Amino acid sequence: MHIHSLRRLEPRAARLLAMAALIGACLAPVAGSQQAPPADLLIKNATVMTASHGTIEHGSVWVHAGKIAGIGATVNAPAGALVVDATGLWLTPGIIDPHSHSALDSDVNEATSPVTPSMHMADAFDNRDKALYQALAGGVTTELLLHGSANMIGGQAVVIKNKLGLDRDAMLFPNAPGSIKFASGENPKRVYGSRDQLPSTRMGNFEVMRQAFEDAKDYMATWDAYNAKVAKGDKGAATGKDDGPAVPPKKYLKLEALADVLRGKLYVQIHCYRADEFFTEEAIAHEYGYKIRAFHHALEMYKVADKIAPEQTAIATFADWWGYKDEAWDAIPWNAVMSMRQGIRVALKSDSNDHIRRLNQEAGKMVHYGGATEDEAIRMVTLNPAWIIGVDDRTGSIDVGKDADLVLWNHDPLSTYARAQKVYIDGDLFFDATLPGLGTTHFNGVMHDSGGFGSDDEDGGQ
Amino acid sequence: MNKFLVVVLLLAGAAAYSQGQVIAITGGRLLTVSHGTIENGVLVMADGKIAAVGEAGKVAVPKGAQIVDARGMTVYPGLIDPETNFGLIEIESDQNTTDMAEPSDEIMPHMHVADAFHAETELIPVARLNGITNAVVAPASNDSIAGQDIFIQLAGADRNQMILGRDVALAMNFGAEQRRRGGRGGKAEFPTTRMGLITQLRQTFLDVQDYVARRDAAAAKKNSEKSDDTRDSKKDDKPFKRDLKLEALIPYLNGERPVVIGVYEGYDIETIMALAEEFHLKVVLNHVTHSQDVLDKIATWKVPVIVGSIYDFPRANERYDAVFTLPAELAKRGVKIAISSADAGGPVSSHSSRNLPYAAGFAVAYGLPYDEALKAITLNVAEMFGFGDKLGSLDVGKTANVVLANGDPLDVRTDVKQVYIQGVAVPMVSRQTKLRDEYRK
Repeated sequence: MHIHSLRRLEPRAARLLAMAALIGACLAPVAGSQQAPPADLLIKNATVMTASHGTIEHGSVWVHAGKIAGIGATVNAPAGALVVDATGLWLTPGIIDPHSHSALDSDVNEATSPVTPSMHMADAFDNRDKALYQALAGGVTTELLLHGSANMIGGQAVVIKNKLGLDRDAMLFPNAPGSIKFASGENPKRVYGSRDQLPSTRMGNFEVMRQAFEDAKDYMATWDAYNAKVAKGDKGAATGKDDGPAVPPKKYLKLEALADVLRGKLYVQIHCYRADEFFTEEAIAHEYGYKIRAFHHALEMYKVADKIAPEQTAIATFADWWGYKDEAWDAIPWNAVMSMRQGIRVALKSDSNDHIRRLNQEAGKMVHYGGATEDEAIRMVTLNPAWIIGVDDRTGSIDVGKDADLVLWNHDPLSTYARAQKVYIDGDLFFDATLPGLGTTHFNGVMHDSGGFGSDDEDGGQ
Repeated sequence: MNKFLVVVLLLAGAAAYSQGQVIAITGGRLLTVSHGTIENGVLVMADGKIAAVGEAGKVAVPKGAQIVDARGMTVYPGLIDPETNFGLIEIESDQNTTDMAEPSDEIMPHMHVADAFHAETELIPVARLNGITNAVVAPASNDSIAGQDIFIQLAGADRNQMILGRDVALAMNFGAEQRRRGGRGGKAEFPTTRMGLITQLRQTFLDVQDYVARRDAAAAKKNSEKSDDTRDSKKDDKPFKRDLKLEALIPYLNGERPVVIGVYEGYDIETIMALAEEFHLKVVLNHVTHSQDVLDKIATWKVPVIVGSIYDFPRANERYDAVFTLPAELAKRGVKIAISSADAGGPVSSHSSRNLPYAAGFAVAYGLPYDEALKAITLNVAEMFGFGDKLGSLDVGKTANVVLANGDPLDVRTDVKQVYIQGVAVPMVSRQTKLRDEYRK
């Protein structure tokens, strides 16, 4: 199934290009020094963990015009390239978090109805939140900012590149596919159950979803009928009159968004914990003809991974969180590796403004819990989350042609001891720990602090 | 000890061990904490204690000892978590499984954690598997004075065997969190400000002093009455009525036991320390994650500090590592530090107690010398809570709480292979390993 780019982002990208051309980035209020990145950058003599094809000792990476142009023991970078001697350092792809609620000023859940698919997280994105800075300093270059888990069908996610200091639109990942957040289990139960509303149970959970898709199918049928009649030249089709003016059916944002799910235009990202819920969600997806891109949290996947693997649904899970609620009671830290061994694509995610700063360590824990190889562990925070977001053809590994989203670490990034030293996004340096002050190269304004921990339970709309 | 052994054996189903089994761990890299690292060392455990420790060849392996080959392994003292809620919480979202704090009043020194500690909690085996052998259990921080802590061992037949010390410290807190603003029932009640919090604390301590004076006077009077048989004292026969709340504070106002003060901001630290000095409290500072401007002062007070959570967030416009570097900055100033397992956000601290060594390792990443980091989760904690002569290092005569791992204990990649508590190999089993093994293909 081909997923089209999220249409609503295209005007933004166009506007961004126009703005950059007309006024230049220097007028952006938050922007600091914004000299253009070097046309050619050569990082040499690093331990290069590619995430796609193993580790290269004493390797070099050549970046040209923001893209990776060469990688290997030697590369053909031009003589004028800016050279970074990375002797004794490690180089990885930028860390990618497929489940964040950062920088939304607590506008995480529109918890006023269990079905709110036309909410767009981009509308709440605050590009000056301190959580972005702290994540950047932890090597995070791309985030999927998701709606919370109060609703069965929540809002549509925004994909950002963590280019702190650029204006808001310049931080949106250009032409990233759209994703929509679903949720089931305790959170919607709690939120609506506490109000004696539907859904107060898992029975209610899933029936709300089925009803929403029935509504969407009916809506689509209305439009299909209208379009068919228009195509046949029957201009009065919509009104039912033989010779009246052509009036199309009304556009409903909510039903349009649900229709986009059924049309396969949105990646479906589902918050759920329990093994039985994976089965129910897959069954509903089959019934209505969409695919589930990833289960998020998915702490019980280890119980049924062999049965979910053929669906090609990935998981975005925690390394070792457990016990904070009933549906997290059977969580085990071996979940990620056990599921991976059964054929599930596994990513680790933060769901937290805290853990987003050290996802590399969460990956390191996978060596301990289940014996992941270094390659497998690093993929869980780079290439695999990129796939979940749908940008794995653009970022997530160190391969020629990909965006130069790179992190230099002072220590093995899978150890407890690693600190991100330099963070590049599209070949441009956005963070350098060796600089005094904040270490930011593009940001010198005032940060916002939305507070909280940035998890989806926290803003459950109680 | 006997009962403990028997129960562990039953749990383990390990017939190989018997009471009084002498175990010698040989060939490992010993991180003694107290006297450096011994490559290729020997550690002998007998009768629940460390019987010998030293270089191979210099330490005799007793005849009949069970030999544990630790070549390529690291051997270190059991880790001690200075702040947990073990046995006070099972599932955070389920109120019926939590006994975290008594929020009905701000001054609750007579709340004894020992009375709520649920020894059979599933959280303890989970933490134990990563080498945590001892912990302080404290109430949550809702109250200015939340209750009295216990010091536990993470194995034992029952509660009484696991609690090594009752009422070992007073849990005190000061800052924005303790203000009663629109909390229970949605209405504000005294104290809603820091002025109110401090006044209430000071009045409480004065009340204790007054109580002690009256109690002593009553006792003195009673004694003098007893010695004077001829006097008719029917009217004074009513005994002095005990006030459990005030009585609970007496040992702390006498400076006999530590008061652990949870406080975050530099200016709050200065305020509460002034009060603590006024009443000569034996202080352990806790948290201090926004104390960057008073670090030198903390050093001059010569109080130990439980620093963290190291993952607490810096303020907006502060450098990203403002909290990560605090353990190093305090240690550099000669402050005795401990590190706790608490997270910032995410799972509550006791569920992630198993990550204690990684918090210490993260402090190393940001400048804390490695040896100091290891001390901050072993010997320093033991000393702060009065167990320095029994726990926290690999020394002869200490309790044989020993961990065997396949690498650096502070690294997330390291796997703990065996934990010994009181010289007995604890089964490396938790509810989670059982689930893992049940579903492993």
